[in-house]
Amino acid sequence: MVTGSLVTAAPTGEAAHGDSGGGRPTGPLWSRLVPTVVLLIGAVYCLLPVLWVVVASTKSGSTLFTSFTFAPGDSLVTNLTDLSTYGDGLFWRWMLNTALYAGVGAALSAMVSGLSGYTLAKFRFAGRSVVFNVLLAGVLVPGITLAVPQYLLLAKVGLTDTYWSVLLPSIVSPYGIYLARIYAAAAVPDSVIEAARVDGAGELGIFRRVALPMMVPGLITVFLFQFVAIWNNFLLPFIMLADDDKFPVTLGLYTLLNQGSTTPALYRLVITGSLLSIIPLVALFLSMQRYWRIDLLSGSVKA
Amino acid sequence: MSTATTRVGRRGRRTGAPYAFLAPAVILFVLFIIVPIGYAGYLSLRKVRVSGLGLGRGARTEIFAGLENYRAAIGDPELWSGGLRVLGYGALLVPTMLGLALLFALLLDRPRARFGRFARTSIFLPYAVPAIIASLLWGFLYLPATSPVNDVAAWLGLPEPDLLGEGSVFFAVVNIALWGGVGFNMIVLYTALRAIPPELYESARLDGCSEVQIALRIKIPLLLPALVMTTVFSMIATLQVFVEPLALSPLSNSISSTWTPLMKVYRDAFDTNDPYAAAATSVLIAAITLVLSFGFLRLVQNRAFGQER
Amino acid sequence: MTRSLGGKILTLALTVSLVAACTSTSDEPEEPTGPVELSFWSWAPNIEKVVDRWNADNPEMKVTLSKQAGGADMVTKLLTAAKAGNPPDLAQVEYQALPTLVSNDVLADIAGQANPVKDRFAEGTWQQVTLGTDAVYAIPQDAAPMMLYYRTDLFERFGLTVPKTWDEFAQTARTLRGRTTKHWLTTFSATDPGWFAGLTQQAGAAWWGIEGESWRVTVNDAATKKVADYWGGLVAEGVVDGKPMYTPEWNKALNDGTLLAWPSAVWAPGVLAGNAPDTKGRWAMAPLPQWTAGENRTGNWGGSSTGVTAASKHRTAAVKFATWLNTDPTATSLLVREAAVYPAARDAQTGPALAEPPAFLANQADFYPLTKQIAETAAGVTWGPNVNVTYQVYQDEFARAISQQTPFSAAVDAMQTATVDDMRKNGFAIAG
Repeated sequence: MVTGSLVTAAPTGEAAHGDSGGGRPTGPLWSRLVPTVVLLIGAVYCLLPVLWVVVASTKSGSTLFTSFTFAPGDSLVTNLTDLSTYGDGLFWRWMLNTALYAGVGAALSAMVSGLSGYTLAKFRFAGRSVVFNVLLAGVLVPGITLAVPQYLLLAKVGLTDTYWSVLLPSIVSPYGIYLARIYAAAAVPDSVIEAARVDGAGELGIFRRVALPMMVPGLITVFLFQFVAIWNNFLLPFIMLADDDKFPVTLGLYTLLNQGSTTPALYRLVITGSLLSIIPLVALFLSMQRYWRIDLLSGSVKA
Repeated sequence: MSTATTRVGRRGRRTGAPYAFLAPAVILFVLFIIVPIGYAGYLSLRKVRVSGLGLGRGARTEIFAGLENYRAAIGDPELWSGGLRVLGYGALLVPTMLGLALLFALLLDRPRARFGRFARTSIFLPYAVPAIIASLLWGFLYLPATSPVNDVAAWLGLPEPDLLGEGSVFFAVVNIALWGGVGFNMIVLYTALRAIPPELYESARLDGCSEVQIALRIKIPLLLPALVMTTVFSMIATLQVFVEPLALSPLSNSISSTWTPLMKVYRDAFDTNDPYAAAATSVLIAAITLVLSFGFLRLVQNRAFGQER
Repeated sequence: MTRSLGGKILTLALTVSLVAACTSTSDEPEEPTGPVELSFWSWAPNIEKVVDRWNADNPEMKVTLSKQAGGADMVTKLLTAAKAGNPPDLAQVEYQALPTLVSNDVLADIAGQANPVKDRFAEGTWQQVTLGTDAVYAIPQDAAPMMLYYRTDLFERFGLTVPKTWDEFAQTARTLRGRTTKHWLTTFSATDPGWFAGLTQQAGAAWWGIEGESWRVTVNDAATKKVADYWGGLVAEGVVDGKPMYTPEWNKALNDGTLLAWPSAVWAPGVLAGNAPDTKGRWAMAPLPQWTAGENRTGNWGGSSTGVTAASKHRTAAVKFATWLNTDPTATSLLVREAAVYPAARDAQTGPALAEPPAFLANQADFYPLTKQIAETAAGVTWGPNVNVTYQVYQDEFARAISQQTPFSAAVDAMQTATVDDMRKNGFAIAG
């Protein structure tokens, strides 16, 4: 739920740290056991509902409601087939749409955030703090309060029910700018910028060739962060899109659940779909784990 | 981080650059946040006027309403009780979530922590689950007929709890947010812990301090800035609680359509077709959060960017 | 500095986009000749198959379907889209949402083209699309008369007989609870206002009416209070459950037989088949219990129509499609077979597609003949222009009444107050 993140650039060596100061054979058994047990309890608490989705997606429409919660069924393949054939493969279309919204949106967002964060961190200019404060105040505005006006305004320019209507509002991310600013301040030394200026490089060139490469790890975090945010966003597409061909997966699954009283809720498909929709994110987490180093105030701790 | 930022802005030929660089973000921000806010402000002063039966063409016109929508919003006791509920929700959620996040981060940071990688990934995992899906999934786990808690209670011969009942539904919503939020905050705090030079602990260890003492006397004080930031961001997120109760409300008789102020906005805008009332309530909420935000912005400025000045 | 630069770019952006968006909605849409494309919003399952059929036969009037979430969500989207000037040409609309949409100028009056098919529908059904005026705002698609579904096996096991009156129904609920604590006869749902509305129609409630140029609003009329207090008494007594329908828990209750009966509508077999497939063949349908022995009355829960929007530029073609969809035998039998709707068109109700009972109730051979009989007894109804407000208050107030055990009739009073207040606020003329 809570958000906001930035990478620490400085790779604080994992291995070195992990074993640091480990010379002391620690005291009584409980002092070694308790921490592990507490961590495992935390892990179980977080994993149980996920495990439930995995188990539930193997159940048929009726065993879902009749068998014990964590007893697996044998209908995984049926569920996958039914989900895949629903509306001529609509589910996979939703997955692709989501990948598009989250992928393109997060990439654009990382670029815009990187440029803005760099500017706010490295330039002195009139109105800098005003711009930053106003941008940051954006995190205080709940999406729901903007939803209707955004829709009506986009409709005036004929953009509702298009991919743009979901992509464009997702690009500007106050959190992303906040993080990029911290990151630029920490990762790009002023001396390097100054040296490039002395060499006569243009500002855009300095950003692209000097600052950007230094900021890449941080921008990847901004990308991941925004990717998750867009992937999980439900309200914006719910309001903007009418055509189910353009739905992201969250909205698609929601419509499977809420087709009105005359249609059964397709829990079985929704649960299987939920599982499938989480898998790419989990893969992203595991493969990009080293970029999930989120530091809200990089530098200040080390200082 | 250098304390002496180069005063590039003073150079004539460069003054345009920062503005050009900020243009994309500023334009998008204006188009998709500022203008809609302004439009919401406009809508909040409007209302619909129907004549006669209100059927047929042109029976409905939009007129200026003055502050009528605001009077209605301020006079609605549901809005204020919803607001109080959210404050209570935040007061319970934020300390619990950050307390657990801190505990897990410290445990992960212990030398030779076992199952560290597994625990870290597992606890972070719920962050990947969209709130709307998390609510569906917890809904299954809460509903007496499908809940494993009730299965276990029945097996033990205990009275079966109603996790979505009048008294417990509040905690049910808190739990969903807790589940989704602990991991993220844990990662933030863990990252900050990792940035502390290990040498700081060495002398303490040599002096015979236990890991608990090191955590309490060295790590937590050093984590304080990060804790403050996570608290602030968590509080902002809790004030915006909306999806979880909205998704749970059809499952329970205990969540009304105005359970939180944002749910009231949603109801007015989407269920009862009164975007004007929704806009007025939105502006009201925005004004209140804006007042709160002055403190927030000062804090961020001082904490995160103090060194740049 | 920033502001002026940003301002310029903003102006530029707006100008460009406004030029791109010159899709003004004129008051009287012109009818272009040549091939047209019609957009159609619907949530009926498999309706794409019916649309495909039309497109195959009418390549010059191609209908593009957008599948939507259920009825209530779609009304909101329709209202917003119409406000923004870009609604679809055609939309599936539940009857109770018609006045709301008409009052917001979303739907076109299609009387000129639609009146010829008037006789294809029952009078009460047609009344719902005219709102009791001379205009016609939609073509009826499906009717949804209410009836009682019950588990034959469990009725037998607990020695129950099918109740013919609501008194017997209450007695049956008590008898059952006396024999078991695991089962309920049924549940009273605070989340389904349409269901409650149907039950009150059966008792003779009339929530809205038109008197000359003003509305009469009596959501808390005697009939409604009678129904509310009847159910409130059963819930308070502990013989009828008070849990919402359409939840995973309710699904489970249907699957494991916790609930023995369900006062529902003609479309119920489809819902049961989807939610509790393994109980196939164990259900039967009977007329709804009556308030007075020997009477034959029912209400409607749901039912929908096909409307043409006021902003549509292809009104003639759109009405042509709407009429075909709901009256042409090919279309209606496809609707029955594919979308599982009970057609509103009278001749379709005895059509070949309805010769067999629904597969889920295969052993009830007289399902459709009985349905047709019941459908004829459905009370007519006039819906008001703010049903969404009334329904919303129903959900909050009845949920509260159930969880805090307060009288149901007080909840009905709250519905009346909120409905009238909302109409007054908006300036509707209200009689009395």
